[in-house]
Amino acid sequence: MTNAVPPAGAVIVEEAAETPTRNTSALKYFGTKLGGAAISMVMVILLGFFAFKILPGDPVKAMAKDKPMSAEQMEALRESLGLNKPLWGQFVDYLGNVFTLNFGTSYVYKQSVSDLIGQYFWNTVLLTGTAAILAIALGLWLGQKAAWKNGSFFDKANSGIALVFWSVPTFWLALILLMVFGGTLHWFPTAGMHSPNPPDGFLANAADVASHMVLPVITMVAVVYAQYLMVMRASLMEEMSADYLTTARAKGLREDLVRSKHAVPNALLPTVTLVFMHIGGLIAGAVTVEKVFSWPGLGKLTFEAISGPDLPLLQGTFVVFSAIIIVMNLLADFIYRQLDPRVKRA
Amino acid sequence: MSISNAPTTATPAGTASARQVVWQRRRAAFAGFCKEFSHHKAGMVGLIFLAVVIVAAALAPFIAPSRMLDVTQLLDSPRFAPPSWEHPLGTDHQGRELWVRMLWGAQVSLIVGFAATIMSMVIGTIMGIAAGHFTGWTGGLVMRIIDFFLVLPSLILAIVLSSVLSRGVLTIVIAIGLTSWAGTARVVRSQTLSVESRDYVERSRVLGAGHWHIIVKHLLPAVMPLVLANTTLTVGSAIISESTLSFLGLGDTTLQSWGTILKNAMDVSAATSGYWWYVLVPGIAIVLVVLAFTLVGRAVEQIVNPTLRSR
Amino acid sequence: MPDLKFENVSITYRTSGRNDRGEVPAVKGISLDLPAGGTLGVAGESGSGKSTLAMSALRLLPKSAKLSGRVMMGDTDVAELSFGKLRAVRWAEASIVFQGAMHSLNPVRTVGWQILEALELHITDKWKTEKARKERVKELLATVDLPAKKADSFPHELSGGQKQRAMIAMALACEPDIIIADEPTTALDVIVQKQILDMINQLVTERGISLLMISHDLSVLATACERIAVMRNGELVEVGPSYQICTDPKEPYTQQLAAAFPVIGDPASRMKPVTRREQTPRDPNAQTFAKSDEVLLQARGLNVTYHTGGHSLRAVNNVSLDLHRGEIMALVGQSGSGKSTLARTLLGLQAADGGSAVTFAGKALPTKGKALKDFRKEVQLVLQDPSAALNPKLSVYESVAEGLRVQRYQGDERARVKAALEEAELIPAEKYFGAIPQELSGGQRQRVVIAGALAVQPQMLIADEPVASLDASVRGEILSLLLDLRKNLGLTALVITHDLGLAWNIADTVAVMYQGEIVEQGPTEEVLLNPQHAYTKRLLAAAPSIEEARA
Repeated sequence: MTNAVPPAGAVIVEEAAETPTRNTSALKYFGTKLGGAAISMVMVILLGFFAFKILPGDPVKAMAKDKPMSAEQMEALRESLGLNKPLWGQFVDYLGNVFTLNFGTSYVYKQSVSDLIGQYFWNTVLLTGTAAILAIALGLWLGQKAAWKNGSFFDKANSGIALVFWSVPTFWLALILLMVFGGTLHWFPTAGMHSPNPPDGFLANAADVASHMVLPVITMVAVVYAQYLMVMRASLMEEMSADYLTTARAKGLREDLVRSKHAVPNALLPTVTLVFMHIGGLIAGAVTVEKVFSWPGLGKLTFEAISGPDLPLLQGTFVVFSAIIIVMNLLADFIYRQLDPRVKRA
Repeated sequence: MSISNAPTTATPAGTASARQVVWQRRRAAFAGFCKEFSHHKAGMVGLIFLAVVIVAAALAPFIAPSRMLDVTQLLDSPRFAPPSWEHPLGTDHQGRELWVRMLWGAQVSLIVGFAATIMSMVIGTIMGIAAGHFTGWTGGLVMRIIDFFLVLPSLILAIVLSSVLSRGVLTIVIAIGLTSWAGTARVVRSQTLSVESRDYVERSRVLGAGHWHIIVKHLLPAVMPLVLANTTLTVGSAIISESTLSFLGLGDTTLQSWGTILKNAMDVSAATSGYWWYVLVPGIAIVLVVLAFTLVGRAVEQIVNPTLRSR
Repeated sequence: MPDLKFENVSITYRTSGRNDRGEVPAVKGISLDLPAGGTLGVAGESGSGKSTLAMSALRLLPKSAKLSGRVMMGDTDVAELSFGKLRAVRWAEASIVFQGAMHSLNPVRTVGWQILEALELHITDKWKTEKARKERVKELLATVDLPAKKADSFPHELSGGQKQRAMIAMALACEPDIIIADEPTTALDVIVQKQILDMINQLVTERGISLLMISHDLSVLATACERIAVMRNGELVEVGPSYQICTDPKEPYTQQLAAAFPVIGDPASRMKPVTRREQTPRDPNAQTFAKSDEVLLQARGLNVTYHTGGHSLRAVNNVSLDLHRGEIMALVGQSGSGKSTLARTLLGLQAADGGSAVTFAGKALPTKGKALKDFRKEVQLVLQDPSAALNPKLSVYESVAEGLRVQRYQGDERARVKAALEEAELIPAEKYFGAIPQELSGGQRQRVVIAGALAVQPQMLIADEPVASLDASVRGEILSLLLDLRKNLGLTALVITHDLGLAWNIADTVAVMYQGEIVEQGPTEEVLLNPQHAYTKRLLAAAPSIEEARA
């Protein structure tokens, strides 16, 4: 039972290698990732609606809880919030509002929520961005050193400190710093973003803002770097028994180069994803830190929205915070692709 | 390592004896686990500390009767008294002993921590196994949901939930439980995927096994140790979340919890007014308890999965 | 050119943590000698200490290892070198071709980068400038028959064979005097293995490099080395010229190893895999089974196509197959030939394309529900790696009973489990009931897997590389068990393998699969001794054989 013999010199030589089709797959990769982010955003928007509309608990009653309000007043409030419309009508209103970035009027500030968020948005980005960069740099650097000297005093001390910081509630650390620097030492300002009489000139002004940032940034970095340290340490330890490190050593590479040129680039891959995943924690920290240090940002807005309760404002900050995080994770996917030549499929 | 020198003894009895051998081995494995854990210094320190705290919290009504918290009976006691022999941990703005509040607060903080964790573990395990086991669009959809919750700022979502729902301990538990399961689901999913790719699952399928059999017989036992380790780690972060939500004024103000105490301290500007004990005591308690849970969790994790050192 | 000498080398590992067993010896008092320009093979099964010994030549052992005795490279004791000197010796004087190049190349660096790195570490007059080094990379890739543009490829973009070539190019980079090759062809297909071995042979002879090659496969060593040393449990069993070791071994252990790789065409090994196992006494009046004329499993025009993201790949192409009751058929092919897909389709684990016809005992293969579950009782699977095929958390009893429970077996479960274990020659069965897989040896585990399949009393077994992950000495035992199962129970079997010797050992018929098609099938003697198809001829030519050592 012999079939046609393949032509002489047929490609029996090698099993086929995966063909690198980088350009087409790059487009596809970005497309899938963008699509995924879009789906997440849609889910946030849906959640933003249902959490506020469908869950048990009458928002108007919640608002009226601490204030004396007559039945007529509550009815009027319902009317003004469009709560009398059928659900789908509310939903259509809501969708329209979201796409025009209109989250209604804040009860507390008596101002458009979008305007408020617009005013405070960059302050939060400045604060959390600075904290994130410092925390990532510090965490990754200490983490890889700790993993490489696994079991040494350096490792034990750093992991220990990281574990303690990991166990600290952010707001409490903020309170302690406030107590030490506000109550006793007066090295840094403890409230707001500007001095009461801000100095003239760009540089002087920047220095003023920077001095206001010191305490909140320290708080956020301290709590978050610990997570990054543990993540980096763990992923480098995973790599440490990899065969290609033996190859590198056999080639005669110095130990520090084996680490920096071979182990760390591989360990960074899982780290990138996890680091960006933890950005959510950083944002959550911003809420309490901004509250304690009276930093005029989205976190402080959120706090005020809770104490109101100011549901339109809360809805607005929730959607914006979620959007920030979705964008950050999209960024993480793109960075990951740059670092890992193997990314095949989404 | 061949069977001839293995310590299993020949037992001519029935199936029961094979089961007995299995049970014996499970008991031995558990004893081995305990023994190994007892050699883990940090884990033991954490465990003993937690045991003390839990016993103290359970005995709170006997050590410090609830009338000690009744403000109307405390009109004579000093406000903001610093720690002294008379007031071991100082008093608060209404003259209540801080140590009494801490003791009662431990109850709420621990109960919320455990309850939220159990909820989060159940959701996380189910979602993780579903995402890893089912292929096609069911798995894809579950995966998408996990990814979404993984990325979402859980505290912000918890804030939204607890602002919309009526205030109370249950709300806090639901808010934390509903928003903190994604991390567990992720770990469970990757473990499920790795078990799923093992040949014994394929063999089971060839023997005619359905989803239920594979999940109960092969997947669940394989992910349980990881879930267990994750549980202790999650209790810690749930306690932090509880204190944060209470601090933001979303807790039950009628109950004592460590977060509520810190909120009171913040409300009376304790930090800037020199009432250091009011801030330090509850904070240090939170840090120590969370640290203890973390140490225990990491010890368990190291024992059940030596390659997976930490997250 | 330096000699490489191991003088009374012993290596122990210090263990700690959970499975603390104190000091564990890996190598015990080995003395071996590799003269300049010579070739030496070290053979042994897993755990024999052969890799540990090889790594000690460049002091690449982990910190927990303790070495006594001396490893001499020329006149220098490797142990006494300073780290700086040692780094200079590494790769420039002796380089290593690692086992499984898949993990030995850094996944995030290009192949060219990794070769260049070695050159930059050991700069000589020949490659002083950046340009000269780039030239040298091209030259090296050309030496191993890789196009120069592969320098820009990442390891995952290369096939297994190409990766191994890149690894060899890297090993040659700094013109070393000694090359240590640790299982250089494991996990490669026979044809690629042949190419790699030929290349190593040629390079070593041309350049007068000394070669220390490590393998579990005596026939691989026989084709590449002048002398072979056999190791077992860290001790040296036997050293001698390759031909003598392979054809006239002195030690029983070596005999067993040598016999594991049968010579195709040798009537002594036809239907008689070498085994030390004793025949189980059987009732002389019992019925014996052999291949019959009744067709049990039939496939006609079977196609399987995978669809992934817009691409479709036909894994199995127009396959027609007849398997008779009591027949043992070997399905032979390289990895990627579609043989495992075919097996999965015949088991109903993978859906066939429309128009394919597969019948079992005259009825079409069920695809779902109760019918599929019942079909599971008829055809069972034995997988390659028994340690992966058994849930480490379940006892032997539970693993074997799993099928009965899934199938809601009505009879006496315990009796059935006992019978199945005894059929798989785990006797007395009760002794194994409570054991967990980790307490068993590899061969015993594979028997448990077989018992688990036999428990549901199937008519047919599909075995996917049933001995590929077992040590050579166990191989024969499992193969002769398969033969006995056919003889005593009338079991039909489809054995998937890349190993033609296995087919010669046990199969009535052979089907050769290539690129999704069955290119040749027929009685074993016919196909293997008088192959018609070019691909079968190639496969046969590529199989390393001890005969070559004679040349």
